[in-house]
Amino acid sequence: MAGIKFAAPASDPNEYKNVFVFLETREDQLMRPALEMIGVGKRMAEKVNEKLVCILLGGDIKDQAKEAVSYGCDIVLGAESPILSTYRTLPYSHIIADFVREEKPNIFLIPATRNGRDLASRIAVSCQAGVTADCTELDIEQDTRILSANRPTYGESMLAEILCKRHRPQMATARPGIFPVPEKIKSHKGEIRIKEVTVDKSMLRKEVLEFRKKEVVDLTAAKVVVSGGMGLGKPQGFSLIGDLATELDGVVGATRPAVDMGWITRDHQVGQTGQTVRPRLYLAVGISGKIQHIMGMKNSETIVSINTDPNAEITKYSDYVITEDLYKAVPVLLDEIRKLKRSPPTPVQETGSAPAQ
Amino acid sequence: MIILALEIIVLVKQVPDSQEVVIDPVTMNLNRSLTRNVTNRADENALEAALQIKDKVDAHVTVISMGPPQAETTMIECLARGADRAILASDRFFGGADTYPTGLTLAATIKTFGKFDIIFAGEETSDSSTGHVGPGVAEFLDIDQITYASKVDFKDGYITAERELEDGTEVVRVPTPVLITVLLNSNVPRRQTLRRKIDAMKQGFESWDHEKVGLQPEWVGVRGSPTIVRKMRPIKERERAAKKVDLAGIPDLVKELYQKGAIKLESE
Ligand SMILES: Cc1cc2nc3c(=O)[nH]c(=O)nc-3n(C[C@H](O)[C@H](O)[C@H](O)COP(=O)(O)OP(=O)(O)OC[C@H]3O[C@@H](n4cnc5c(N)ncnc54)[C@H](O)[C@@H]3O)c2cc1C
Ligand SMILES: Nc1ncnc2c1ncn2[C@@H]1O[C@H](COP(=O)(O)O)[C@@H](O)[C@H]1O
Repeated sequence: MAGIKFAAPASDPNEYKNVFVFLETREDQLMRPALEMIGVGKRMAEKVNEKLVCILLGGDIKDQAKEAVSYGCDIVLGAESPILSTYRTLPYSHIIADFVREEKPNIFLIPATRNGRDLASRIAVSCQAGVTADCTELDIEQDTRILSANRPTYGESMLAEILCKRHRPQMATARPGIFPVPEKIKSHKGEIRIKEVTVDKSMLRKEVLEFRKKEVVDLTAAKVVVSGGMGLGKPQGFSLIGDLATELDGVVGATRPAVDMGWITRDHQVGQTGQTVRPRLYLAVGISGKIQHIMGMKNSETIVSINTDPNAEITKYSDYVITEDLYKAVPVLLDEIRKLKRSPPTPVQETGSAPAQ
Repeated sequence: MIILALEIIVLVKQVPDSQEVVIDPVTMNLNRSLTRNVTNRADENALEAALQIKDKVDAHVTVISMGPPQAETTMIECLARGADRAILASDRFFGGADTYPTGLTLAATIKTFGKFDIIFAGEETSDSSTGHVGPGVAEFLDIDQITYASKVDFKDGYITAERELEDGTEVVRVPTPVLITVLLNSNVPRRQTLRRKIDAMKQGFESWDHEKVGLQPEWVGVRGSPTIVRKMRPIKERERAAKKVDLAGIPDLVKELYQKGAIKLESE
């Protein structure tokens, strides 16, 4: 199947139809990025009157297939085998590449999660397809059915629009946390085709010895995120951040160096290589505002930063800037929020001022 | 029985220094003449992971890169850190490659090189940040892979590694040959010594063109790329007020945030 072969264009691109998405699972449960793929895939399929086809692999996936249908999937192509409940590169990439060769999708989307990226380029090479990585905007041109795959580049300062005109399928990985999870449609009908598969031993030489699950803070769904950076100066700083987050009913975020220092676990990381958040309120505490961090939080509704350096880059991304030592400012903030809670101002003009969610 | 040394390959790329990227306002392209080039940082971690195996067992470490002649500095730097050999796949036909022909060219270079047991790559590059090239090479060579590895250990023909996923750490074990992509900052790259730097410059690197690696010009570079960039546009950020607040202003700030609905008092 593999071998050194160049990317031959599709002999007839019109043979390729429908929008396919890969549904990533963990222990057979659909992950949030899987639902995000259904949302963006459905929108494109409807635009050109085609079907949304979801690829689902696992040990026991019948309920998950129904769930995918309820979110808008028209056809579920499933492969079931007990050994597929854990992701492994070779069996997954071989089974999915076979689906692609048989079914000839026009578009194939995979979440740009770690396992999604592990998988996507193997399939692209195997199927001689073009793939655009880590897209933040996706659209399909109605007349040509060409995928417009847009991805940030040059340190997030530019958006590149990338096309794949002659090769099929047109593949893309889509950044998690960008595309909204669609509403469930109770009445939606779909076709479920699950086949049982046997996987060749040669593909199972990789053993997964263990999976140490982390308590995952889903930052992407949080309404308030309080993030700490290197300005905290010490690991204990995160207990202060934690207090503020608790008081605001939010979650704790962090910059990558703070994670690398071991001050907090990686699942709190916001940014290019962490999670992308868009809360109602984002508090950046002791964070310089390097672009790799900014790209994970810039779409927050209101941004408040605390930084001793008035010229820190975070300033231009902030609605409010507190130019003070965080160890002075955060206790005052905590105090004021507690005061507010004890004696909330009488709601005078509550109507009409509700913020957009 | 003769036990051959382990052959380890490390894929490294020279990238523009992400701290000082200069965009030409007219062409919207990178102004290469104003941008300094450095070795992709995750690739330094990949090289270090390889050298740590070489510290323990008899091994040869070869760095392979595809890039223009100026990648020489990266090649010499890798030798000075402890690599045994450096090969730069360099040819005017290789320019403008997307991930497909990049993987193809690197895989062809590895095949031309000959035997390999372990291939290391970085988790991603700072300039294209796809993370697709490593797995692409593994697919071309039809071998297994371990991506996003934080810890890598080699023993008796098996790699045991930890992979960092969004929701946990996966521990895997794979017999060689295998391709491993290494996380940024997962180790501390050793320094180049002056001594080794002098040796490295004496030793030099090899430059291989498309004929040497057995590829046709139309398979590689921009012509061999399924994807094309249609256009580039600046990402416009919403202008934010950056309203200044001092310690004494925090009470008013909290009230303002409450009135805007940014702070709510009941949990949702
Ligand atoms: C490929 C790649 C991917 C990356 N991915 C990410 C990512 O996903 N997320 C991420 O966050 N980073 C990421 N980074 C790192 C990023 O480039 C920056 O290094 C990082 O965001 C900086 O973190 P920081 O703001 O905590 O630290 P610093 O840049 O060191 O900033 C600390 C700030 O704290 C301020 N400060 C110091 N003391 C105080 C005090 N007492 N009170 C108030 N303020 C104080 C300082 O003025 C300074 O502005 C990535 C880098 C690369 C190369
Ligand atoms: N031109 C290249 N030459 C050598 N290695 C490369 C090249 N491009 C990418 N790589 C390797 O593939 C990894 C992932 O790159 P990317 O897919 O561009 O994010 C890098 O960290 C390198 O190890």
